[in-house]
Amino acid sequence: MRVNFVLSEVATGLRRNLTMTVAMILTTAISLGLMGTGLLIAGMISDMKEIYYDKVQVSVFLADDVTDQQRSAIEQQLADSPEVATYIYESKDEAYARFQQQFSQQPELVQNTPPDALPESFRVELVNPERYEVIAAEFPNGQNGVDQVRDEGDFLDRLFSLLNGARNATIAVAVVQALAALLLISNTIQLAAFNRRNETNIMRLVGASRWYTQLPFILEAALAGLIGALLAIGGLVVTKILFVDKTLAGPIRAGIIPPVDWGAIAFISPVIAGAGVGLAAVAAYVTLRLYVRI
Amino acid sequence: MIELQHVTKLYPASSRPALDDVSTEIDKGEFVFLIGSSGSGKSTFLRLLLKEDDPTKGNVIVNGKTLNTMNKWQVPKLRRTIGCVFQDFRLLRNRTVAQNVAFALEVINKPQRTIKRVVPEVLEMVGLEGKAARLPSELSGGEQQRVAIARAFVNRPLVLLADEPTGNLDPETSEGIMLLLERINRTGTTVVMATHDYHIVDSMRRRVIELNGGVLTRDQSRGVYGVGR
Repeated sequence: MRVNFVLSEVATGLRRNLTMTVAMILTTAISLGLMGTGLLIAGMISDMKEIYYDKVQVSVFLADDVTDQQRSAIEQQLADSPEVATYIYESKDEAYARFQQQFSQQPELVQNTPPDALPESFRVELVNPERYEVIAAEFPNGQNGVDQVRDEGDFLDRLFSLLNGARNATIAVAVVQALAALLLISNTIQLAAFNRRNETNIMRLVGASRWYTQLPFILEAALAGLIGALLAIGGLVVTKILFVDKTLAGPIRAGIIPPVDWGAIAFISPVIAGAGVGLAAVAAYVTLRLYVRI
Repeated sequence: MIELQHVTKLYPASSRPALDDVSTEIDKGEFVFLIGSSGSGKSTFLRLLLKEDDPTKGNVIVNGKTLNTMNKWQVPKLRRTIGCVFQDFRLLRNRTVAQNVAFALEVINKPQRTIKRVVPEVLEMVGLEGKAARLPSELSGGEQQRVAIARAFVNRPLVLLADEPTGNLDPETSEGIMLLLERINRTGTTVVMATHDYHIVDSMRRRVIELNGGVLTRDQSRGVYGVGR
């Protein structure tokens, strides 16, 4: 195969349909960028599940007027319960310290919250997280110094269903964009083939092989896909630096949200690049098969 | 070399066949005029030889290969043994004369060494030495057709198909083109030329195959264009 010949054909083709090529690259980039975001969110969700689900599952908040006697009775009951794996006690001071740390990015909120506003609590890890009801029944709300028993798992479930929804929506938009990108690629290739019909007609007549005739078009699409993928990866890097690392710095440091590390981006980059190049090349090949006589 | 056995070609859009039960044989090294009015089936005849189309019925045999049963991937190989020249030259306007000829070799993966050697040779043969660096737009019609012939012949095909090669040219220029085709024919290449030009047919006195509404109505060695002309 004459590499120079094929490459110069590719370059000519991309230049000749510049506006279509730019549209094709941008749509591909947006689609792949969203796909990457979806993958990163998915990774984040599984990281978060590890962080949260292993920790507290049930919080037993104590009333403001709890007596020492009531407190040690509750502790005794937790220590004796076969449902409880471990538990820790968190005093009002500790709760306030954790609160300060969690919301260090929002100093007004911290200033407006008096140190004793947060209740003391027992943070309980269950043997079986599903058995929240049993614990809740053992400590009726508003009795014996217990203010409220809260199933943190329930809150987490809602949080995660929100995150899953965000991930699914991102991927859905990515799929729609990918469809638009594929149609654009198909159109661009048809246009490119039309522009070069003189060349391809002569190639056909003098007996150039099918590959020789088609390869420039397929490479053209693949190259556009690759450029789109690189833009998408660049977009993810910029998003990490400007948004995740800056705006979400507080929650990440507090351990509420796992950081998006470079490893994750490095891991999905080849996936994005492969998807961009592969889909573009396949779209071009199918287009040539269906619409273009070569 | 070329054989048509009871070939019928029906195009889907038309009820009348473009070729109707045509049988003929053309030997190696022959020079054949294919004549007939527009729509008589001349172009279809040539298209079948190139396997640009398949016959509806019958067999087309070129260089010993039956085209009907040929695999798709073998078609390029077939076409490398057939050169084509058209009325409208079909040159690439943004390439020079030499590049136009070289293109035909580049795309079938001939080594650069060979291309550098044979392109000047064939340009000299068609009388275009010294014009290798010109663009087609800088050439006369006759010269452009010579470039097209050079491109068709540069890979030394067994068969040269010419579809009205003089259709756009004045009589003197046409004569030069015919001399060139004769010269190519003398190298042993079979030439099949579809034409309307009775001056040329009458003066050359070669084999004439006449088609009329898709039917082969005359096959005459050393023929003239019209009977009784």
